[in-house]
Amino acid sequence: MKIETQNINKHFGAFHALRNVSVDIPDGQLVGLLGPSGSGKTTLLRIMAGLETPDDGRILFDGRDTTHLPPRERRVGFVFQHYALFRHMTVFENIAFGLRIQPKAQRQAEGAIRERVMSLLQLIQLEGLAARYPAQLSGGQRQRVALARALAVEPKVLLLDEPFGALDAKVRKELRRWLRELHDTIHVTSVFVTHDVEEALEVADRIVVMNTGRIEQVGAPDHVYENPANPFVCNFLGNVNLFHARVHQGRALVAGVEVAVPEHAEANNKPAFAAARPHDIEVTRTCRSSDSIGVMVDHILPIGPIVRLQLRRTDNRDLIEAELSKDQWRTLKPVTGEYLYVEPHNLRVFVEEDYVI
Amino acid sequence: MAGIISRLQRETPSPAANTTEPAVVRWSLITVALLFLGLVVFLPLASVFYEALHKGVGLYFKALAEPDALSAIRLTLLTAAIAVPLNLVFGLAASWAIAKFEFRGKQLLTTLIDLPFAVSPVVSGLIYVLLFGAQGWFGPWLQAHDVKILFAVPGIVLATTFVTFPFVARELIPLMQAQGNDEEESALVLGATGWQTFWRVTLPNVKWGLFYGVILCNARAMGEFGAVAVVSGRIRGLTNTMPLHVEILYNEFNSVAAFSMASLLAVLALATLVLKNLIEWRARRVQAEAERSAAQQVQS
Repeated sequence: MKIETQNINKHFGAFHALRNVSVDIPDGQLVGLLGPSGSGKTTLLRIMAGLETPDDGRILFDGRDTTHLPPRERRVGFVFQHYALFRHMTVFENIAFGLRIQPKAQRQAEGAIRERVMSLLQLIQLEGLAARYPAQLSGGQRQRVALARALAVEPKVLLLDEPFGALDAKVRKELRRWLRELHDTIHVTSVFVTHDVEEALEVADRIVVMNTGRIEQVGAPDHVYENPANPFVCNFLGNVNLFHARVHQGRALVAGVEVAVPEHAEANNKPAFAAARPHDIEVTRTCRSSDSIGVMVDHILPIGPIVRLQLRRTDNRDLIEAELSKDQWRTLKPVTGEYLYVEPHNLRVFVEEDYVI
Repeated sequence: MAGIISRLQRETPSPAANTTEPAVVRWSLITVALLFLGLVVFLPLASVFYEALHKGVGLYFKALAEPDALSAIRLTLLTAAIAVPLNLVFGLAASWAIAKFEFRGKQLLTTLIDLPFAVSPVVSGLIYVLLFGAQGWFGPWLQAHDVKILFAVPGIVLATTFVTFPFVARELIPLMQAQGNDEEESALVLGATGWQTFWRVTLPNVKWGLFYGVILCNARAMGEFGAVAVVSGRIRGLTNTMPLHVEILYNEFNSVAAFSMASLLAVLALATLVLKNLIEWRARRVQAEAERSAAQQVQS
């Protein structure tokens, strides 16, 4: 089912949680709502589920206005951040809940319910634990039960609030892959909320980046990562180094380097920001051109397969972060306190008047 | 063998292992505590039963079988049988509203629930005299329609209900607040109506807290003296509850009968405490079991 939200606003007291949010969730896709805490992503998800009502704006399911439909008539599955399993019911009864509460006329026979629950237990690979209580399960198991419970009523949309937020890193990774595979088998339109960039980039077909109640950018993960629309998205999707720059008629001057920026052809000597990811900072021992920036090595942090260098510019004392692969590091062999040169590549230029950081 | 046993004994942690105070200090502190407990709790309790029974079991039961005594017992049971269910329903409703919903005046309602605890029971009784007494607001109307509230059973029930109202609500509000709304929201999204959500999710989650609140409420309903004394009029055999009857008998120097009645109230209090501990023990055991098997699950 396709979901559209149109110009949604939501206040909590004086706090403006959502500002004019319009976004389309295409049918059958797995969409990630990504943003820092307080960006309004969970509120947007709860409005889709009917657990909150927007102050104004509309929400459409397959073109039908559902803005004021109560949650139980929306046929959505919702998975809560802390699972919200019914603590006094067994795993079996938790999953069967949505089937048992249906009005008598529509309710399935006991045998059919049993069959459905058993097949869901098989899907989540917990067949042996049907008689357990939620308190007797590990975090990852609870998460899967919550998912099975939501799927039991055959929802048209699956909404997940920080689905892996409360799990440890390893389980999180496993479940993430499992959710992706599950979505590839059942194809139900799914929206999940996360503040974890890696999670969103890995799992989602499409990501919606949010900040302070606004949508900053929507698109395929790869596309958004490679073409961030503004400094916020650029910064949020991964560490970046920001340089002051000036843009004049399609050319940007960044730290002494001139870069072509055809998209800003009409800009006239405007202040701008240029961003370069740490792995796009080339570190050299010799000054190869007038474009190089002189730096001093502050810290060297080996992190697994990469080595992060914290560098300080000799001209204005600003910090620059560079990432080297282990191989590059071995060739260069920098030491703390040494003077080196850096050249930023793949710079993205944002004219300042459009965006303020 | 002997070596192993002595080592085992040494390794068994004793309560004194972590204290460094000299034995004299430890034992004198314990003695003071026990003496105080004996003087303030056990001695009075024992004296109630001694006074009631010291002239023989026959006299004890004869005192309880008096028509006036029986009528007091009946009235107390009747009052509790009306006041406790009322407070169960309204306490549950109030705590449900306060813990699970946001609305204007919530703070005021929370404060109002505590009011019966805050004011003296005598004042609680006087409120009803002001409302329903001959000179009260509704007095003339009630007299004209021949409805008796004051100095009759309805007044006693009203006063008792008022005084015991906070027990259930006070027990449930923190519990429900701690549990949050997630499970209810899950149920609603899964297609449950509000009513189904309440019966299948909210209520089962607070049942032990509810039992506990009801037991305390019942104990107080049967033992209430001050508010009931003001509204009852103390007509023997008609509007005398057990606590009131104890006072009347005692003032008449009929100490065996007074203490017999008092001993019944004491037994009731003891039974309440035992029941309360049973419930707490059970709730703890359920939780411990869940934790234990969760730990096993993680290990396997």
